[in-house]
Amino acid sequence: MNNRIQELRAERSWSQADLAERLEVSRQTVNALERGRYDPSLPLAFRIAHLFGVAIEDVFQP
Amino acid sequence: MDTQTASLLLRRARPCLLAFAAYVVTLVVSLRMLAHGVEGRAAELAVSLSPVIPVIALCVCIVRLIRGMDEMQRTVQLEALSLSFAATALVTFSYGFLENIGFPKLSLFIVLPLMCSFWALGTFVAQWRYR
Repeated sequence: MNNRIQELRAERSWSQADLAERLEVSRQTVNALERGRYDPSLPLAFRIAHLFGVAIEDVFQP
Repeated sequence: MDTQTASLLLRRARPCLLAFAAYVVTLVVSLRMLAHGVEGRAAELAVSLSPVIPVIALCVCIVRLIRGMDEMQRTVQLEALSLSFAATALVTFSYGFLENIGFPKLSLFIVLPLMCSFWALGTFVAQWRYR
């Protein structure tokens, strides 16, 4: 699944560690999400979208 | 793994390390007491099984450690444990068949270190997949 996490994070000048802290996940998880190596669960996907203040479909594309 | 994550992991794993250290101490004390002889069957049983107590604590610590992980880390651990379960079953069954043709009988104590080794290997492989 493709996503815009890296782009949305860069817009806010957050490091991967910053995003990881805000999402309460490890930095490795943020890295895996950004690289598309790991597809998040629905609750985590909603948390990511909520954190960026966008709709879930604006973050993740099939 | 960055230093921040490593220190967080070490902090979370500290109770597990303490429980393991307690296990080693209890085991050494238990073996020494048994070597010197313990009076009575009940006392002998109690001393012999005493290392199980820190092992129970270790199990609780491992469960708490995994519950404290995020969802991807838990997926990594599930894959690692699945790999260690399958690999341990494969090795122990294969060796069991070899014992039928005269290979030396091994102690059951070998199973847990074997499984832990495969677990560590599985964690490395699973983490590498998600890099």
